[in-house]
Amino acid sequence: MHYDEKKPGGGVTRRGFMQIIGTGAVGASFAGVAMAARPEPAPPEKMIPAENTVKIRLHVNGAKQEVLAEPRWSLLYVLREVIGLTGTKEGCSRGECGACTVLIDNIPRYACMTLAVEAEGRKITTVEGLMDGEQLGPVQTAFLEEDAYQCGYCTPGQIMSVEGLLRKNPDPGTDEIRTAVSGNLCRCGAYKNIFRAGKKAASLKNK
Amino acid sequence: MLPHFSYVRPETLKDTIRHFNTKGAALHAGGTDLLGCLREKIMDVDKVVSLSALAELCEIKKTAGGGLSIGALATITQVAENPLVREKYPGLAQGAAEVASPQLRNQGTLGGNLCQKPRCWYYRGEFACLRKGGDICYAIDGENQFHAIFGHDRICAITHPSDTAPPLAALGAKVRAAGPDGARSIEVEKLHVLPKQNVHAETVLKPGEIITRIELPPPGENRYSAYRKVRARRSWDFALAGLALALETDGGRVKNARVFLSGAAPVPWRSRAVEQAINGKRLDAEAIAAAAEAVVEDADPLSQNAYKLNLFKGVVEEQLHAAARAA
Amino acid sequence: MAQDDNIYYTRGLEVPETPEPGAKPKFWEKTAVVGKPTPRVDGYERLSGTAVYPSDIKLPNMIYGALLRCPHPNARIKKLDAGRARKMPGVRAVMTGDSAEAKNLKWRYDDFTVPLLDPHCRFEGEAVAAVAADTPYQARDALAEIHVEYEVLPHLADHDRAMDENAPKVHKTGNLVGKDEYSRGDSEKGFARADTVVERTYHTQCELHTPMELHGCVANWEGDRLTIWESSQGVYAVQSTIAEVLDLPFSRVRVIGHYMGGGFGSKLQPGKYTVLAALLARQAARPVKMILTREETYLSVGNRPASTMHLKAGIKNDGTLTALDFRCTGPSGAYPAGGTSLVDWLIRDLYQCDNVSCRSNDVYINAGPARPFRAPGHPQGSWALEQMIDELAEKTGMDPVDLRLKNIPEVSQARGGMPYTTTGLARCIREGAEKFGWKDAVKKARQHNQSNSHVKRGAGMAACLWIVGGGGQPSTVVIKLFRDGSVNLNMGASDIGTGTKTIMALVAAEELGVKPEMIQIEHADTGTTQYATPSGGSKTVPTEAPTVRNAAVEVKRRVLEMASVDLGVPAEDLDYNGAEIVSRSDKDKRIRVTEVSRLKKRGVVVGVGYRGPNPSGKTVNPFGAQFCELEVNQKTGEIRILRFLAAHDSGRVMNRLTYDNQVFGGIVMGIGFGLTEFRQLDTRQTGKLCNRNWHDYKLPTALDVPADMESLPIEIDDPEANNTGAKGLGEPVTIPTAPAIANALYMATGIRFTRAPVTPLEVRRHLDLQKEG
Ligand SMILES: Cc1cc2nc3c(=O)[nH]c(=O)nc-3n(C[C@H](O)[C@H](O)[C@H](O)COP(=O)(O)OP(=O)(O)OC[C@H]3O[C@@H](n4cnc5c(N)ncnc54)[C@H](O)[C@@H]3O)c2cc1C
Ligand code: SF4
Ligand code: FES
Ligand code: FES
Repeated sequence: MHYDEKKPGGGVTRRGFMQIIGTGAVGASFAGVAMAARPEPAPPEKMIPAENTVKIRLHVNGAKQEVLAEPRWSLLYVLREVIGLTGTKEGCSRGECGACTVLIDNIPRYACMTLAVEAEGRKITTVEGLMDGEQLGPVQTAFLEEDAYQCGYCTPGQIMSVEGLLRKNPDPGTDEIRTAVSGNLCRCGAYKNIFRAGKKAASLKNK
Repeated sequence: MLPHFSYVRPETLKDTIRHFNTKGAALHAGGTDLLGCLREKIMDVDKVVSLSALAELCEIKKTAGGGLSIGALATITQVAENPLVREKYPGLAQGAAEVASPQLRNQGTLGGNLCQKPRCWYYRGEFACLRKGGDICYAIDGENQFHAIFGHDRICAITHPSDTAPPLAALGAKVRAAGPDGARSIEVEKLHVLPKQNVHAETVLKPGEIITRIELPPPGENRYSAYRKVRARRSWDFALAGLALALETDGGRVKNARVFLSGAAPVPWRSRAVEQAINGKRLDAEAIAAAAEAVVEDADPLSQNAYKLNLFKGVVEEQLHAAARAA
Repeated sequence: MAQDDNIYYTRGLEVPETPEPGAKPKFWEKTAVVGKPTPRVDGYERLSGTAVYPSDIKLPNMIYGALLRCPHPNARIKKLDAGRARKMPGVRAVMTGDSAEAKNLKWRYDDFTVPLLDPHCRFEGEAVAAVAADTPYQARDALAEIHVEYEVLPHLADHDRAMDENAPKVHKTGNLVGKDEYSRGDSEKGFARADTVVERTYHTQCELHTPMELHGCVANWEGDRLTIWESSQGVYAVQSTIAEVLDLPFSRVRVIGHYMGGGFGSKLQPGKYTVLAALLARQAARPVKMILTREETYLSVGNRPASTMHLKAGIKNDGTLTALDFRCTGPSGAYPAGGTSLVDWLIRDLYQCDNVSCRSNDVYINAGPARPFRAPGHPQGSWALEQMIDELAEKTGMDPVDLRLKNIPEVSQARGGMPYTTTGLARCIREGAEKFGWKDAVKKARQHNQSNSHVKRGAGMAACLWIVGGGGQPSTVVIKLFRDGSVNLNMGASDIGTGTKTIMALVAAEELGVKPEMIQIEHADTGTTQYATPSGGSKTVPTEAPTVRNAAVEVKRRVLEMASVDLGVPAEDLDYNGAEIVSRSDKDKRIRVTEVSRLKKRGVVVGVGYRGPNPSGKTVNPFGAQFCELEVNQKTGEIRILRFLAAHDSGRVMNRLTYDNQVFGGIVMGIGFGLTEFRQLDTRQTGKLCNRNWHDYKLPTALDVPADMESLPIEIDDPEANNTGAKGLGEPVTIPTAPAIANALYMATGIRFTRAPVTPLEVRRHLDLQKEG
């Protein structure tokens, strides 16, 4: 099943941001980690020379997308500056903060530590992909209700880590939530509310 | 921002070796360490050879002899969560779970973890130090609180960064490597090199050689294994001091103890002194105290890291008591 | 008090005069929306990924800038050759000290004026040259092709050596930035009267702000008009600096900062990078995006300076403090930046004490200049003072809670006895202790420590105040009420993550009776919104909220005047409830706001609010106390914090949701200051920064902070402070955290940890010393 295609109902829309509507049914849980046999990326037939750009096919938030990229470009750079999906943030580009967390085949990873060419053919989900149309998805709604952010810059990454956890484990305990977001710094220090949002997100999704 | 490199993703091991066996080529498994090194311009790389089309290197499977064979491309998360690893080789599962952060564990591979570059802050920073081809080691007279107390010979005092290598070594694991000259097995214990052997390399792998699998022998009866890591921060942090233990018990007495330290030396550091102190003994207070004293016998602390002496003693005590309770 | 006015305001530039405030509205006895837990008004944007932060801006034809920085802590550029860089692929602009655009430009570091691209680089990370290219990758490639020959000069990295005779001189004038002295009473006599005198030296390490969003901007010229999107705490502060450096009229510099990913003081001002982005954009005739790398931010955008503090305290057996003597050294960095600013404030003001003397030396070192960092000076001073109080309590056999309660001052002694509008210090300590279960926690920890477990427990507490927390002039806010009843609120202030916009919407909604969702906020844009001082120093809410209220009152007054024409009733007899205007004397006389004829015709009614002055002869300060419980593993030195409680008096709670979030965030930052964060210079060799990334410089993660954190607001009506009764919150919540931890560590181990941060290394080292006796 393509998780991206499931639309948990309800959430918060641009209009009427303060009315929080209950969420609808979410369907079955995500089964296990799908990495053991990785979906095989389409291999480049030949070597890509350093200064050339090459066409790569990405599958972002349910849509196919082709971009021209140099071998050295990170997935983060391609998402933000080439495709224009700026919900995913850059904090360090060194794998040390988590602001760039996206799901690759449902698993949270750092887009800054992933070459765009390595993401060829993979299913990528960014914070924009968690929206249910114009409404916030369940994890985003939980973050709103629990005030699990301040400046909001680490937040898309935190949300993706929680989303990744819930796809693997729909009913996590506080310790599991804490571990799941332990690769996401929050300098504003909203951790406590993030833990609570994780709990609430699970219940919104399971409704 | 990374410098330029060309990129290739071969579909067979043979092609991979061929591409890799050229000057300026680097392997990309998960890329989590490689990309950091390229960002810091630690090495000159003009070709990146990706392993990610080699699906057969992702599998974790039982071997005919009752052991376990882990593909070099299995992610750290897969190792940490694998039911067989957790049941039969808990020390490895614990080590893997202590690596970096969840996202890095989801991406980094076991092979990459064994071959990662050191984390000395001079090495990773803008310092042309000895290991990078310069003239001096900045750590010896500099800020060395996180550096080695064993095996540095005052040449280069990195601590080996891997949290999986010490438990693998303690469990008697071997790596399978394939290269231009064919395949071979190397004990994990012998995979890494000391500065006095070669200050410019971290492993004994030869040019063009790739780790394909990591193989664990069948666990013996009554085997206990564990990994403990002490660090300044609970996520994203390398060991200040770590201890990998594997031992068997026979009538309440320890046998075949294998003890490896992390955060201690430029390689996963085998503490034969601790092994000797407990082999053939019951893990009572006396034996444990003797083992704790033994662990730092040959240490050579630097100006800022003598705190590691009692830290290692403390970890040995704590972990041997835990082992005694579990037995 | 020159210093409290200075720290968060634009220095050296005149701030506009504020007109007389409008009629002062009555204090709210009861509120309908203010204070209620309310999700943020911009939550949708921040959570959906649609909020556009400066680093997210992408303009047509935009190119990317990058800076070359000096790799040495002290060096002179002998030769710089950018010839090859210009020819690199994608390169569209190159700026060096010799470029026509940059050559005559000056940069001000406090009262030092230096060339923008100064050939003498006094700290590692000083800007040397800049390029712009089609991709950020190409820009970095080009930097690598700029060849610079440096004459490397001797450097000074250790502030404790700054005053040594043979120490390298950072400036020709020597290494002293300035001395500050304060005294009241007679310390000598005070110590003579004491039954016990204790003396100790304390150290805190240099802490770096490291907000999540990198420092940077996008610069774009339209003819002579420059627009800058800057990740900033104050768009007007950016405007004035950039206008000054580029010699442009303020009106031609538009600075926009709608969203920003954290600053903590490091984004109160622009950087050289902002000017260089503008220059590159002009040379290339294209918009330039200049976002620093994480490593650059470690070097060049400020820090909380390290401190070496010596505190001597005298106490009588009954708990009366008789004297405090404090000495402190701290480094500004390579230019004056308040190296010891406010470090002594708590010693001067927190506890009743007649005899106090303080001396501080602010010195230069060859490292990036400091910038204000959340509660400048206070966490350092608190580290010393609050541990000292704990020690005095032990020496006199008193409970630390009781000892503090015994020494609560009635007035601000540091201000010559000026009264506080309100002080909740005693209540924070007393009620916090009660809610936390202090006595019980202490008893349990002591009991636990009788056992032979190597994991020991401790409970600790500390209290604080914050020097400014009343906000102040100037501030202007415009509110527009449209003919459909919806409202537009226009203010220049930034929302740095503290929930400013949400609070302002609540204030306007409260006054106008409209639903908060009816209010749209325009803010942080010098082109379209009102003048505001930067958001920092916990002054934004007490500054802007009263102004918003004044503007709302003004709008209401005007709309009532308009309705009085329709209803034939004097305006004084009318009330506006958000939907209708109703006569108080005759409830049947009413009109919907959408029907008010003059409003229909004009389309909008505008109310301008100005910030009135603070009460004269009184000072407005927030107070607080924090309590914690923790465990220490005596074999490994690991510390686990089990829980925290924070009781804070910040006047009215404006939004309980964001209030608690600030409190928790302050504790988290305090945990970093106390346990994990330090800048490590290669002091004995190159003087370069060793840990210039988030891996080696360790912020607390989700696993390092307790899930059990409790916020206990001590809400005291303060009608004098301002018309909303709110005092500052953002700074005080991080002040007492670290010493509360240190005091708990003492209970657990019997060791006074006088050096922050207390890493496991530090614990182990002390345990070793303890063993040796
Ligand atoms: C911020 C951060 C924190 C970290 N913290 C920890 C930690 O606490 N503990 C810990 O153990 N590790 C830690 N790491 C290291 C991390 O675990 C490694 O980066 C990861 O395991 C490497 O795996 P990879 O597949 O991504 O390797 P890559 O980056 O792809 O490769 C790493 C190196 O190994 C070589 N290599 C990779 N695979 C093979 C192979 N099969 N055969 C031969 N050579 C190969 C590559 O050429 C390269 O030089 C941290 C890393 C980062 C970035
Ligand atoms: S310890 Fe090794 S890597 Fe570090 S500075 Fe010395 S030589 Fe270089
Ligand atoms: S930007 Fe990727 S981890 Fe920081
Ligand atoms: S909300 Fe600001 S960094 Fe997390």
